[in-house]
Amino acid sequence: MLKLKSVKTFVFASTVSLAAATGALAFPDKPIDYIIPFGPGGESDISARFQQPYFKEKFGQDLVVSYKPGGGGAVGWAQLNSMTADGYTIMGVNLPHIVIQPAQKDVGYTTDDINTFYMFHYTPDAIVVTADSPYQSLDDLIADAKANPGSVTMSGSGKATANHLAQIRFDKLADIKTTYVPFKGTGASTTANLGKQVKAQWGYTTVGAAQGDAVRMLAVAMEERHPLFPDVPTFKELGYDMVGGAYRGMAAPKDTPPETIKALSDAFGAINADEAFRKQMLDGGFAMLDVDSAGMADFMKARKEEYLQAATEAGLLN
Amino acid sequence: MIETTAKTGRKDVGTLIIASLLIGLGLITLYDVTTYSDSDSVVFPSFVAYALIFCSVLVIIYSWLKPNPHNGFGTGDWWRRFLLVASMLAACLAMPLSGFLPATAIAFAGGLIAARHEGWDARSAIIFALSGVFIMAGFYSLFRFALGVPLP
Amino acid sequence: MGLEHLANALTLTNLALALFGVVAGTVIGSIPGLSATMAVAVLVPITFSMAPASALILLGAIYTGAIYGGAYSAILLNTPGTPSAIGTTFDGYPMAKRGDGDLAVAIACFASVFGGIVGALALLLLAPPLSSVALAFGPVEYLWLSIFGLSLIASLSTGNVLKGLAGGALGMLLSCVGVAEISADIRLTFGVSPMIGGIEVVGALIGLYCIPVLIDLVATPERHLKVEQGVRAVRVREAALIAWRSRLNLLRSSVIGTVIGILPGAGGSVAGLVAYSEAKRTARPDQKFGDGEPDGIMATESANNATVGGGFIPTLVLGIPGTPPDAVILGALLVQGVRTGPTLFDGGGSIVYTFIFGLFIATILMLPTGLLIGRYAYKTIVTIPKTILVPAVGFMTIIGTFAIRNSVSDVIIMIVLGSVGWVLSRFGFAASPIVLGLILGPIAEQGFVQAWIIGDATGNLAGMFFGRPISLAIIAFTILSLVYPVIQSRRAKRTLATQANLND
Repeated sequence: MLKLKSVKTFVFASTVSLAAATGALAFPDKPIDYIIPFGPGGESDISARFQQPYFKEKFGQDLVVSYKPGGGGAVGWAQLNSMTADGYTIMGVNLPHIVIQPAQKDVGYTTDDINTFYMFHYTPDAIVVTADSPYQSLDDLIADAKANPGSVTMSGSGKATANHLAQIRFDKLADIKTTYVPFKGTGASTTANLGKQVKAQWGYTTVGAAQGDAVRMLAVAMEERHPLFPDVPTFKELGYDMVGGAYRGMAAPKDTPPETIKALSDAFGAINADEAFRKQMLDGGFAMLDVDSAGMADFMKARKEEYLQAATEAGLLN
Repeated sequence: MIETTAKTGRKDVGTLIIASLLIGLGLITLYDVTTYSDSDSVVFPSFVAYALIFCSVLVIIYSWLKPNPHNGFGTGDWWRRFLLVASMLAACLAMPLSGFLPATAIAFAGGLIAARHEGWDARSAIIFALSGVFIMAGFYSLFRFALGVPLP
Repeated sequence: MGLEHLANALTLTNLALALFGVVAGTVIGSIPGLSATMAVAVLVPITFSMAPASALILLGAIYTGAIYGGAYSAILLNTPGTPSAIGTTFDGYPMAKRGDGDLAVAIACFASVFGGIVGALALLLLAPPLSSVALAFGPVEYLWLSIFGLSLIASLSTGNVLKGLAGGALGMLLSCVGVAEISADIRLTFGVSPMIGGIEVVGALIGLYCIPVLIDLVATPERHLKVEQGVRAVRVREAALIAWRSRLNLLRSSVIGTVIGILPGAGGSVAGLVAYSEAKRTARPDQKFGDGEPDGIMATESANNATVGGGFIPTLVLGIPGTPPDAVILGALLVQGVRTGPTLFDGGGSIVYTFIFGLFIATILMLPTGLLIGRYAYKTIVTIPKTILVPAVGFMTIIGTFAIRNSVSDVIIMIVLGSVGWVLSRFGFAASPIVLGLILGPIAEQGFVQAWIIGDATGNLAGMFFGRPISLAIIAFTILSLVYPVIQSRRAKRTLATQANLND
């Protein structure tokens, strides 16, 4: 009798675990909508496009990328939590955007509203000049800026963005005064630099990768040199404590069940662990990052403090 | 004196009202720019607001002196115009509650009724309703399934 | 480049892809709200499993087709299917209204094919040198270019220039709504959070152009478009003759389109408007632009299809997308492992040249398919009873506007803007100046702010704004197109007067 019961329990338990297992295995059983809250062509779009084929290959379902541009991403993020919370709708998230935007103004969401489940890469800040620029090294640029305060013009993408924060921070660290010229997106800012409308650009390592021989990077904001650019020093090596850039990841609506979040996080973790994917990203100038849903709270907390402090010092918050 | 007024006819009240509203919009903009923190975002809207106010004042003076008799809403049924716009707006408001197809069915029905001048009988009602269902289903599947638009 | 690349492009698969792409693109482009960007974005994952050149041919064909397809709704419904077709409405819809819609569609097809070929030729032969145009255009040049575009308001608003200017200013104010592009403020939303995203341009176009047409359609029992009894099949020969007579206009507009297509900050809408403005400036006195003048359609349609080839120049040579669809295609290329840059034309040349020949083929295929689809589009719109046309178009405006960025508030803005636009147009404030302001406003603002910052930093503000050769040339053209019509009409009057004197 007792035996029978235990057998029954065993059978029951195993069916449950079986169901749970197949449920987990079958998680993406239809295409996933992956909304990029920007227009096409930017770093967010391109890195999502890199993920697309790997997702299909590993999980057999399409990752459908669509764009929902507006308000520097705010339009998308403000609507994220009203979308279907079944794990089949996810959205790209960017730092420092989701920290700085709600801190500045009421944009329809708060940083804590965004349920980020994976951070998969960042584009390190870098100073980019054209190949024929007189600035051979970071010191040349600093010397020029010291001799002619304000006359060194540097293009960047938007205001209160990673580029802008980097410019303000570096000016302070190097005790110089440069002029930041905001452009609409990295593409426009790169065009201005290549066309010599400005003297240098606050961009990312991705600009160096895309432009190849046409540009030279003076320094990159990484802990160690980027494998694609072994000759470009880090800011740290040169004595400026600057590490960072724009971080990118994915978020799901707040009410998405925790196990689905876990499944999503694992899925994108698996893509990030794929050597071919890593190589493609690094060749594109990206720097990899692996923050899963478990480690997200700590990561976001640290970033939030860092960015809010930087923005306050820069006078961007009032 | 009386004769000239008769010749120029009524004042073009519509233009005067619109131009005044545009001036109001310019003033609101000039107020709004005072709340911006970045001077780069102030320059353009304030310049445009001044231009708008300037042009609108000139429009008022011009149309006061020389009203255009052609301006006006013309003939036509107001209830049809209202029905068309109102049913489309109603569809937008209903969309988050009822989903896409039931909501746009309101707009479609409104448009059908507004556009039908010949009167209704059972036969035409059925034909138009059916072709409506067909068109909506066709476009819905094109957008939802072929283009992957997440329609609610 | 060489014959082997042409042969590569001519494989059965590539031909089929080009044909499919052109047809799909034409249909998608003709539906207001469905843009080339979206069509290309949807198809990108399919191309991952293809050879890079075939993928590019498919995406390029869709793009080309969509830009042409925008002309259908512009001509037949007064609604630009894509922003590139704004200028097509100016003369296309009047033509359709008077019963020449079939002719207008055929003319648009010839012009599009011509423009597409000129753009593709430039891409084939001159890409690396022409890419420097993209770099020569700085903030000031964009500022003056947008002012040149805005000068079209003066000539568009026949009768009341003041109302046109007020409308233009209104459009520019509307363009400021939402988060500012290059500064960190939120403007003119008055605390309404759906407004943060600003006024979506395509949605606004649909509202301002299409809703007034619908409102007018329901109000009276009259037919939508005039139909000639005993209609001729398609007026291909007539259209070809008209196009041949205007070959100079076609060529000029195509060159304008190519060059503006190269500029990453401008795009098809600006190209079409500038070409229209130039066509109008150089017109014969008997041509009535804005009143159903075939040369107006030809200018816009050839220019906007030329931007396809032109836009690929910076995309492929510099890795900087010329237009949003180019940006999507660039992403697809990167995933395929194709590195863009000048070396692409030497080293990995085979892909590029196969693609360019594919683009040629797609453009040429557009001639038969475009005429055929155009014929059916025209027949459908003309014969469909108004009772069903109105709700069907209304439904399309809703679903199309929603699809742009999956937003219901965009649809509400579209309807409200359209109704307000209808009232405004009834009192002489036309839609086109508002639209020009909406599209050119951001270009002007960014150009001005950036030029000011740079000029201020280098201590040379006057030199920044008035000291650069390209800027001066654009300023000269602006003045010319503003002053020339005045001179022309004076001269015409004087001739009349002398004739009268002689007669005495």
